[in-house]
Amino acid sequence: MKKFLTTILVLVLLLVPVVSCKQEVPGSKTEATTVAEKAEDKTEAATEKATEATTEKAEEKPAAEETEEKKAEADSKNKDLEGTTLKVLLAYGGADASFPDFTAKTGIKVEFTSISTGKALAQIQAADGVSDADVWFGGGVDSYLAATDLGYLMQYDSEGRKAVADQYKDAEGYWTSLALVPAGFLVNTEVLEEKSLESPKTWEDLTDPKYEGELIMASPGISGTQYAILNGTLQALGEEKGWDLWKKIDANVTQYAQGGGEPGPKTCAGEFGIGILAITGGTYALESQYPVKVVVPEDYIPWTPAPIAIFKDAKNVEAAKLFVDYYLSKEGQESLREADARIMSREDVDVPKIMDTIDLSKLIKQDVTLFGAQRDDLLAQWDELVK
Amino acid sequence: MKISMGKLADRAFLILLLGLIFLFIVYPIVSITAISFRGKDGFSLDYYKDILSGDNLTLIGNSLWVAASSSLISTFFSVTIALFAFACSKKTRRFIQNAAMMAMISPPFISSLAFIVLFGRRGLITRGLLGLSMNPYGPAAVILLQAIGGIAYGALMLIVALEQIDGYQIMAARDLGAKGSTVIRKIVLPSLWPGILSVFFVRFTMSLADFGTPIIVGGNFRVLATEAYLTAISTPHLGKAAAISILMVPSAMIAFYFYRNNMKAISESNVMKEGLEGEVRLKLPRSFTLFTGFCTGLYFLIIALKYGVTILSAFANTSGRSLQLTLDYFTRLSPNVYKSLLHSVIFSLLAGLLSSFIGIAISYYLERRKLPFMPVVEFITSLPYIIPGIFFGLGYVAAFSKQPLYLRGTATILISNYIFRQLTVSIKAANTAFKGISENVDRAGQDLGASPLSIFFRILLPQVKQSFTSSFITVFTSSMSAVGAIVFIISPGMSVASIELFQSTEVGEYGVASVQALFMIGIVAFVNLLALKLSKPKSAAKAKIKVQS
Repeated sequence: MKKFLTTILVLVLLLVPVVSCKQEVPGSKTEATTVAEKAEDKTEAATEKATEATTEKAEEKPAAEETEEKKAEADSKNKDLEGTTLKVLLAYGGADASFPDFTAKTGIKVEFTSISTGKALAQIQAADGVSDADVWFGGGVDSYLAATDLGYLMQYDSEGRKAVADQYKDAEGYWTSLALVPAGFLVNTEVLEEKSLESPKTWEDLTDPKYEGELIMASPGISGTQYAILNGTLQALGEEKGWDLWKKIDANVTQYAQGGGEPGPKTCAGEFGIGILAITGGTYALESQYPVKVVVPEDYIPWTPAPIAIFKDAKNVEAAKLFVDYYLSKEGQESLREADARIMSREDVDVPKIMDTIDLSKLIKQDVTLFGAQRDDLLAQWDELVK
Repeated sequence: MKISMGKLADRAFLILLLGLIFLFIVYPIVSITAISFRGKDGFSLDYYKDILSGDNLTLIGNSLWVAASSSLISTFFSVTIALFAFACSKKTRRFIQNAAMMAMISPPFISSLAFIVLFGRRGLITRGLLGLSMNPYGPAAVILLQAIGGIAYGALMLIVALEQIDGYQIMAARDLGAKGSTVIRKIVLPSLWPGILSVFFVRFTMSLADFGTPIIVGGNFRVLATEAYLTAISTPHLGKAAAISILMVPSAMIAFYFYRNNMKAISESNVMKEGLEGEVRLKLPRSFTLFTGFCTGLYFLIIALKYGVTILSAFANTSGRSLQLTLDYFTRLSPNVYKSLLHSVIFSLLAGLLSSFIGIAISYYLERRKLPFMPVVEFITSLPYIIPGIFFGLGYVAAFSKQPLYLRGTATILISNYIFRQLTVSIKAANTAFKGISENVDRAGQDLGASPLSIFFRILLPQVKQSFTSSFITVFTSSMSAVGAIVFIISPGMSVASIELFQSTEVGEYGVASVQALFMIGIVAFVNLLALKLSKPKSAAKAKIKVQS
């Protein structure tokens, strides 16, 4: 008994410092340190480049000095924030790869937890509006709309919002889109080949009875993405034609997924031939690992915004504002686009290469702010339809 | 003066324990229940208006029949395995016990995952071997997986119960010419009956609260627990989710009440009854041995298959036309995973130790001192175990988000959730242990002038180490794999391995999930074996002393 207790105590005592003093123990690199380290690497590289530039081009010295001065100014502004740790609730697959860029620029560390916006909203509701994070990053816009209504978000009119079209941001400044996520299909070529089916090209194609049982999509009551697809198509086609489309698609769906993350992997695994999902860089990356292909619908493309917002009770408000500024700046948007390819919300940031075949004119013209108000009604009608 | 000091310390200790129970059990549950009564402007019963509507009634029905069938199957297999083990030599019996323990440590959803890999529409068995393309999702899959999940626990419980059956009785019956089947029917099964019932009801309670299995393999089939979870995460009406959770409480309580009653019957019938020295082996009819042996073999085959698939899918891409070996999934683990794993291990170790200690302390006041209000306290400690995990977890978020009790993002909130969710298990283990120690020991201590606390710490505590170890293992194992109760408690920089695993499974990253599962299985197996090893020696000598007293 004593031996047992002491061993456990020793184990705990050995492990506790590993967690608390992350930096001191080699081999136990935690996320915060790796982010910081990567950031250091980057700043080093940046200063190297800068010195190279100044030595090589002596004529341009004054200009370089000027920028350096500006940099110094910005630095002093951030100085007191250096070393703060920003806490982020993340629902934007792959975005964490761009956090080191932000840390390199500002010295602010970023800690995050991947949590769907629905779970996050439940958590904040339970806590009566108190969030232990500072920033909400990506995910379903309907959660942001609900959170705005419930008074959980902070207004912030970041400089970068000027470059973002009105339809992609909240008029009062509670949230702003980082990017648009188009929706489409992922097809498993092996499965379709086996059943000698060709891959669908349009939403209308999905209504063909030959696809019965091969289709997987999330329930719009659960998945924000699927809800956005439903609402978007209804806005684009009008109520009557829109519901008719979904009635027919429903006939081909045997089972609705319990989350927006499910159709992709299930299609990859060959459980289903066609998945309806949000298309991001991560979706294209699946093509190299599985026998799947991304299909962007030819008739019209529903989309959902991936917003960013600051929580009302954020403890690191200044750092959070810098963070939002960064991701709404051209530089930050480009860094984020590298981390996960999406159509960025700033008009001056190009569409990622992998998506440049997408015909942007086919993006549905929709009013995102209706997503919240119509939600209960639409879902009630949806429940009737699938019954 | 000295005595009153001792009494004072005793009072303070008791108040501390009660304070902890109030703070970490009562207060969170009240907080989350309050949310279900919170409308836009103050108190409202809105969420309860339609609570017994048609849809919810269907869900209640689904929950009940799924729970009943899965617990029935689970109990049946537990009984056959236990009987088979009892009829085997001691060595084989120990082997079966160890194997059952290994079967218990698998992290959540691993069964569901293996099931999809084997029997999914592209399953290795359904499609690879049999060439079928069928849809395996539905209530049958839920029942099957929940049943398999509960067998090991039930079998272990029943093997222990069987070993406590009076060996002389069996021998006497045999001497009088009773056949093996008569012994089973007339002696073994009747003594085992309370145990069988308690296995059934504890499985029933667990099945009611399980939302993970139905979500992953249930397809369109929904039960109350999934509905509560999905309402919480997909609508902005948390109060409604809380109300649905509350709807589950009565049936869980009834089932748990039966479980407790039967447990009591077991421990009372076996108090101070010493088993026969040496081996008691049942001679069973051949057909019976064959049948139970077959069931046991089948079960362990399924478990081996499950672990095999987990290992396979950690190292291979099982989705293509042919298996491709890969180490991809290891490189795709984010650094977050290692940090979370470390958190999990430390928090679960602490939770295991503290929960076992608090459990023994409460049991001391309940079982030894027999304080009049302790049964109420015991009932309260069983609540976190029987109410749905997400409900308890959201209660923690609701309770500890305001100063001065702000605990969000700390290790404390996670550890305390682990401790108090399983506390009832520790108390129960300690109750049984205390029953085996004569109360004269306490009186002797008292006569020699020991204060109540020193009787507890210096006389009783050292004697219940077996129960300490077993509750440590239970709490540690279930903390390592806890999901429902803590999925809402995690915060940036403070996640744990079981949640990371849940997230990987939820989005269908089966390869990565298998790697994470392997890590967890390895750690839990290692710690459990270590705990057993360290607590084993010298027990024989002590047992002798116990008998003499």
